[in-house]
Amino acid sequence: MISDIVNVIFYLGNCVLLVNLRRMRLEKCWFCSSTVYPGHGIQFVRNDAKIFRFCRSKCHKNFKMKRNPRKVKWTKAYRRLHGKDMTHDSTFEFERKRNRPERYDRNLAENTLKAIKKIDKIRSDRASDHIKNRLKTGKVQRQKEARKQLEQGIHLVKAPHALAQDSSLCLPKIKVNVSQAQTEENQPMEE
Amino acid sequence: MIQPQTHLNVADNSRARELMCIREAVPNTPLERSEVITAVIISTRKELKRDNGMIIRYDDNAAVVIDQEGNPKGTQIFGAIARELRQLNFTKIVSLAPEVL
Repeated sequence: MISDIVNVIFYLGNCVLLVNLRRMRLEKCWFCSSTVYPGHGIQFVRNDAKIFRFCRSKCHKNFKMKRNPRKVKWTKAYRRLHGKDMTHDSTFEFERKRNRPERYDRNLAENTLKAIKKIDKIRSDRASDHIKNRLKTGKVQRQKEARKQLEQGIHLVKAPHALAQDSSLCLPKIKVNVSQAQTEENQPMEE
Repeated sequence: MIQPQTHLNVADNSRARELMCIREAVPNTPLERSEVITAVIISTRKELKRDNGMIIRYDDNAAVVIDQEGNPKGTQIFGAIARELRQLNFTKIVSLAPEVL
C-alpha cells in the first residue's frame, strides 16, 4: 500500500548525491502482535532464517524465556484465542501483507490515506462493540431465555409436520422410565 | 562481540567445523602459519544496528572461510547472512548465501 520512494536526489552545492531510501514497512511484533514502527524493537534471526520481530524488550525477553504467546494473557494471540477480542471481520482483509510495490499514483495515495483512517475507525468501533457485548451482564440469563423461546416458538420457524420429519430441528426428546405402580398386585404375605 | 578466543561456527562446506578467533585481520596483511586461516563473520549473537534504526541479532556466531582476496573457500553457504557483507564487497559470499537479512 505504501509506495516505494526509491531515489531521492540531494543537491549539495555543485554535486548531486543519489540516496537510496529503503522502503518502510510496519511490522507486527511476534509476541504481542502490536505494530513495530521503524527504529523500534529488535529482530532476531533464527538459524533456519525465520525472523522474529519484537516491539520492545518485554516481548523479546518473554520470547527468550520460551513463553508461548498464546498462554500469556496480555498478548493479542491469547485474547483472540480466548474470544476476548474480535477475530473475524471484513476490515481485517484490508491489512493483508502485499509484496508488490505499487507505482506511485497521487490519487491512489490520497484515497488510500483516507481509506486507512476510515477503516481504522470502523474496525475499532466493531472491536469495542465486541468487548461491550462480551461484558454485558446477564449472558447466562439471555441464553436461557433464548433456549426457551426456541422451544416454544419453533412452530413459527418451521411447520410441525416438517419438524416431525426433520429431527435435527427439535430438541432431543429425553425418555424417562417410570416404574408401574404395583402396590395392588403385590399380595401381602400370607400369615 | 567477537574477540580473540571466541569460537565461531563455520557456515560453509569447507572442511573446517569450528574456528577460534585469534585476532582481527587487518586487510591485506599476509598470514604466517598455515593452520591460521582467514574467515569473515557473517552473523553474530550480539545485535548489530543499522542506519534505518533496525537492530538485528542472529542465533549464533558464524563465519565463512575465505582466502586472501575475500573469496570463500567453500562452495556452499548455510544459513542467513548479514546484509552488511554486500557493502563490504564480499559479493561472492552474498551471491552464494541462501538468504541475506
